[in-house]
Amino acid sequence: MAEAIFRLRNISKTFPGVKALSGIDFDLCPGEIHCICGENGAGKSTLIKIISGAYQPDPGGEITFEGKKVSFTPRQALDAGIQTIYQEHNVFPMLSVTENIFAGLEVVQKGIFVNKKDMWEQAQKALKYLHCAFDADALVGTLSSGEKKLVEIAKALVFKRKIIILDEPTASFSVSEIEMLLDVVKKVAARGVAIAYISHHLDEVFRLADRITVLRDGLLVLTADAEDIDESTLVSSMVGRDVSAFYHREFFDRGEAALEARNLSGNGVHDINFTAYRGQILGFAGMVGSGRSELMTLLMGGAKKDAGEVLVEGRTVDFHSPADGIRARMCYITEDRQHAGLFLEHTIARNSIIANLVNRASFFIHLDEDYRVGQKYIKELRTRANDANVVVSNLSGGNQQKVVLAKWFHTNGEIYLFDEPTRGIDVGAKQEIYQVMLDLLRQGKCIIMVSSDMPEMVSMADRVMVMKNGRIVGSLDRGEISEENILQLSIGGSTI
Amino acid sequence: MSDIRKHKEKKSFLIFKKNSDLQTVSLVTVAFVIAVVIYQLIAGVSKNGVVAFPSLLYPSNILNILIQATPVGILALGMTAVMLAGGIDLSVGMMTSMFSMFVAKVVMHGGMHIGWALLLGIMICITLEIIMGAIISVLNVESFIITLGGQIACRGIGLLITRSQEVAMDKQHLGWLKENLFDLINPEGIKIFSRKLQLPYYVLIFVALTIITWALLKYTRFGRRIYAVGNNPQAAYLSGINVRSTKLLVYIFNGLCVGIGATTLLTRVGTGIITVGQNLEIDVIAAVVIGGVAMSGGKGSVMGAFIGSILMFTISNAMTLMGIQSEWQYVVKGLIIIISVAGGALSHLFSTRKAVRQQKAAL
Repeated sequence: MAEAIFRLRNISKTFPGVKALSGIDFDLCPGEIHCICGENGAGKSTLIKIISGAYQPDPGGEITFEGKKVSFTPRQALDAGIQTIYQEHNVFPMLSVTENIFAGLEVVQKGIFVNKKDMWEQAQKALKYLHCAFDADALVGTLSSGEKKLVEIAKALVFKRKIIILDEPTASFSVSEIEMLLDVVKKVAARGVAIAYISHHLDEVFRLADRITVLRDGLLVLTADAEDIDESTLVSSMVGRDVSAFYHREFFDRGEAALEARNLSGNGVHDINFTAYRGQILGFAGMVGSGRSELMTLLMGGAKKDAGEVLVEGRTVDFHSPADGIRARMCYITEDRQHAGLFLEHTIARNSIIANLVNRASFFIHLDEDYRVGQKYIKELRTRANDANVVVSNLSGGNQQKVVLAKWFHTNGEIYLFDEPTRGIDVGAKQEIYQVMLDLLRQGKCIIMVSSDMPEMVSMADRVMVMKNGRIVGSLDRGEISEENILQLSIGGSTI
Repeated sequence: MSDIRKHKEKKSFLIFKKNSDLQTVSLVTVAFVIAVVIYQLIAGVSKNGVVAFPSLLYPSNILNILIQATPVGILALGMTAVMLAGGIDLSVGMMTSMFSMFVAKVVMHGGMHIGWALLLGIMICITLEIIMGAIISVLNVESFIITLGGQIACRGIGLLITRSQEVAMDKQHLGWLKENLFDLINPEGIKIFSRKLQLPYYVLIFVALTIITWALLKYTRFGRRIYAVGNNPQAAYLSGINVRSTKLLVYIFNGLCVGIGATTLLTRVGTGIITVGQNLEIDVIAAVVIGGVAMSGGKGSVMGAFIGSILMFTISNAMTLMGIQSEWQYVVKGLIIIISVAGGALSHLFSTRKAVRQQKAAL
């Protein structure tokens, strides 16, 4: 194999409270397709951000590019020939393909005038090489998501980039678009461009990769040539944590059915069937973007359902807004507590009573009562705050999550939808949240939990439904729940 | 745990909480008032050789400031609600003009009873706000643009009503609102420092409406929803709040405030003319912002807006007493707004940085 053009040696990255990467070695050779695999949160995104210059690694690591030791800003990395193509489209929909390719890097003549013809020809040449079905004048907004990705790849070709990083490029693609993209990637690599390719889809990985690197919890598990590795080895290398990562919970008797979905579709999910029981945690596993949060929003009434029915306590319900969900004693602890859960500039007391406003008959509010409610939950949940008049933005992640819980406990909910209950929370606070969840079960409440945190899913769930592309692709009973089984269902098999 | 910051709400020398945006502006204003008082004392001594009580602090002058601040203050109450819910309303100035022209026209040329005319005018303001509020909340479009359109349309409607002319009203129509409260105590009038104290009835409307709005925002379910919607509409929706209807109700409330504020302004001016409300929305927004209400919504209070509108007029009044020409008054007023809001942001930035440093040190 050719000499590596890009080398990472002993790269670590620490964020406040979490070590995202530690001691990573990583190479990219010209003409190579190097796939990076790992679960959600394994450190893949951090790694590519270090390659693209968006993050600086901790001191002690070394980055070499074309034999020279470097430290890039994103702009320098781009100028040196490293192009990152992110999962979301980085395009201007109202501009043409040519204008998109040259945005910010226009070819100029006589100082200020843009040379349109030259740019158009270069763009057209690249598109032709990639066998694109559209031309350089097309408005990017009118292209499909696969074609938008091609525009970004064409951009890399026009500027003769040496390294292209593709982060989950096929996330929203149709089957034919995936085929098209895989062909293009191979073609580009054949020109001598080094490609780093990140994907959750194992079939894509095996069709493309020359080499595969697996990350787990910020550590490098293995780097191997694609021929030397098969699907089951890959999956088992992505899992396999230490026993200490798991939480040992107490189990309770299964109660009556509390929430049921029958052939439910809408908000990007299809044909969902499940029954959640009191005293149990029903887990929803799957990769990011598999439709789990969308399903939660749909269940709560935050999105319109297209078909099927939802039953609460055996009665068919028809929610038009989350307010209806709250009246039916449902609670939705959202994934993104800062943007969708909390009122950051308001006090704990104000946050604690807000969801219960729909159940409150009286028009007037008693500030003392709010304060008492806030204080009660601070005590009950052991939130670390001086009192209920503390503004929520001053709290740490774990304590903010407790305020979210207080908000829902105050509604006297019976069914709890936990979306990523412990994201961004340190280990100590995690255990406390788990304890709170178990207390709920003890009281006979029903919990539905979405989590990308494998140990969490494996140790907390009584039953796991695995989702992929908006559908349930499998379910696992208590005895069958393991990292390996979950991962196999959520990324193995065919793409669609 | 070490990374938890102790949070204390320190009270500053004024009634405002530490780090509130009001703190900066109140400091600036207090400094300004002290400067004016010193100036007046020195000027008095150098002119007459005796120390005279500064005219800025005459009770009659303070009441005068209150009278001047009334229309803007009432409009600021509605604007506070709108801005707390995360919106803005640029149409209030021209709607005030339109209201005054409509009332003057129907009373003077149509012979309508003044009571009915005022009621009808207020209903029109509320209707217009319902239309704009419905568009803003249902289609979830930028309130800035919609109310800008409303502003332009209101100007046109107002001019159409009076055929672009001004309509003067007779004293008898709105004179009752202007009657002096102190005349009730002593028909001869009460004098302090040989100046007659003036306090028209409509100032009482301002005070009463302030208290009502304050209670509405602080002590009711509706008020809570306004703050929640302004701070985080997504979280508000998921917490079971009807974001659309909350926004719509806020605009309706604003319409009511515009109608009442316009009534007080018409009482003072006595003429229905397009210039009555011209640029009024700027003063109103300035007062609300000075009062510490965040443009992004969800933060601030009615008391802030009340104090903000009075501060604005105190500054104008003091500058007039100092004999500063009106051109310079604009410059100074503009600077005070910029300094106070930028200062508030700066102190917030510093306190956040300090918090981050403390957290880092704790880790």
